[in-house]
Amino acid sequence: MPKQGTSENHSAIILVVERDPHVRDLEAFFLNEAGFGVEFAADGEAALALAREIKPEIIITEVLVPKLDGLALCRAVRKEAELKDTVVLIFSILAAQSRAREAGADAFLMKPLAEQRLVQTVRELLASRASSKAEAVRA
Amino acid sequence: MTAPITGENGLFPRIGTGNPQADLVLGGGLPANSINIVMGQPGTGKTVFAEQLLFCNAGAGRPIVYVSTLSEPMTKMVSYVQRFTYFDESRLGTEIQYEDIGPLLASDGPPALVPWLSALIKERSPKLLVIDSFRAIHDLGSSLSETRRMVSDLAGLLTAYDVTVLLLGEYTMADIERYPEFAVSDSIIQLARQTLGTRDERYMRVLKLRGSSYREGQHAFRITQDGIQLFPRLISPRVATTYTPRLERTSTGVAGLDAMLEGGVWAGTTTLLVGPTGSGKTTVAMHFALEGVAHKEPTLYVNFQENPAQLARSFSLRGVDLVKARADGLEFMYVSPVELQIDSIVVGIFDRIKGGRIRRVVIDAVGDLVTAASDTQRLHDYLYSLVQHFAVNGVTSLLTFESGISTDGSFDTGEQRFSYMSDNVLAISLAGDERTRRTIRVVKTRNSGHDPVVRELDITSAGARVS
Repeated sequence: MPKQGTSENHSAIILVVERDPHVRDLEAFFLNEAGFGVEFAADGEAALALAREIKPEIIITEVLVPKLDGLALCRAVRKEAELKDTVVLIFSILAAQSRAREAGADAFLMKPLAEQRLVQTVRELLASRASSKAEAVRA
Repeated sequence: MTAPITGENGLFPRIGTGNPQADLVLGGGLPANSINIVMGQPGTGKTVFAEQLLFCNAGAGRPIVYVSTLSEPMTKMVSYVQRFTYFDESRLGTEIQYEDIGPLLASDGPPALVPWLSALIKERSPKLLVIDSFRAIHDLGSSLSETRRMVSDLAGLLTAYDVTVLLLGEYTMADIERYPEFAVSDSIIQLARQTLGTRDERYMRVLKLRGSSYREGQHAFRITQDGIQLFPRLISPRVATTYTPRLERTSTGVAGLDAMLEGGVWAGTTTLLVGPTGSGKTTVAMHFALEGVAHKEPTLYVNFQENPAQLARSFSLRGVDLVKARADGLEFMYVSPVELQIDSIVVGIFDRIKGGRIRRVVIDAVGDLVTAASDTQRLHDYLYSLVQHFAVNGVTSLLTFESGISTDGSFDTGEQRFSYMSDNVLAISLAGDERTRRTIRVVKTRNSGHDPVVRELDITSAGARVS
């Protein structure tokens, strides 16, 4: 029987901004299984509001989401002082790597979902974030 | 063994099919992370195509899952696949897993498929998924709208995840408009079989391949112990208008004939030699081949009538040291006329010349190909392409063609259709009541003058001579 996802031992909260129900389902499963807590938003505006509230360690967003697209969301997050430590990962069907970089994203991944690549990228981003915060504290 | 990832750029990677020729037809293989339909009636080779692909791609971490629906018992499929050389028992159960969802679909219907696959993806992370037969699932649906919803949901799931999917099915051409999976698929590959006399010919055809070029048309294939052996349809070389012709005369090897051609034929040209049976075409062709060998030009002699032993005897009777001739570059290619399949023959000749080593080719006789061809237009297209490849590769060729007995040298339609693709046309005629008299004339030479006189052609045990 297929194994079930677990939400135990969450080490970080990830906000996933995604409309596609299958991508949402699979992302939730694989990120939960890797030990992360996952929250969802279906559009950019809802995502920004939720991010202000829960202050996730990482936002994973598709570019093509309603109201505020993923790149605009990224720019908006970068302007929020309270979200300065939030990492943004653009995860899109579009080959928007350079636009993601220009928008201030920390990383870009192209769909479809490959769980090893996704989880590995998230872990690397979290490690980098922790390292940056530690350096800031020492400074 | 893992199939190489190839493709036009990093955005659209490909997966190999396990068959380099099929990959060539598909422009580099199947698109990765795509939904592909392999359609064809029972016995056309769908399962062989799929199994060859999955054994080729097995390994490197994530498994491949072959899902049977209703059509064929799993034990039967596993039993048959063992007969192929690509089968590797050590991969079964781990890298390649078989699943049977027939009972689940029978009890719960088509809507049970997507949740089952979603669970499978979460549990096993498959990189390749084969569903055989997908068409059979339609037979279980209560309505077309129900299966449409299922297919839409299925496409969403399989597009979301990093998996390449093959849907196999006994679809007909009419099904393409009827069933929704054809609309959501990224590629459609048709396998078909048609009967020609006592022979069956199999064809593969790509009907759809999103975001990529592919080689159109029917491509013949056989099923062998190694799996599918494909012969991609020969197309004219793209560089046909830009190559530099060889500006040198080359000898035909027949005394007196070169003088009729102002010193021989242009190198890299094609000459059609027409004549009735017994007129000496094969003798002239042998001279042409041996002349190439004498000038250290590797020469391919393609023959459909005499087997290698008979042909060796024919050469030896003319005083040819065949061992030496072979050592000097004479190669034979023989195919029995009862086994002739034009695709395999013409592609086989092309494969021999494409390396650039062969400098001369004799095809004795193209008429045998006409007899074997199920589609003469296809044959002419193939031969035209082949002759273009000869020209681009600087290969000087001689094609023989058996005509009816005629004294006026007139061509029938068949000969005319071959003459247009030839640079030079030579015609041999037979005449005489008590003693056979052979004559030869030059009908046409491109970019050259020629002797307009009809001359005697003597065929003796020493060979051919024009006087």
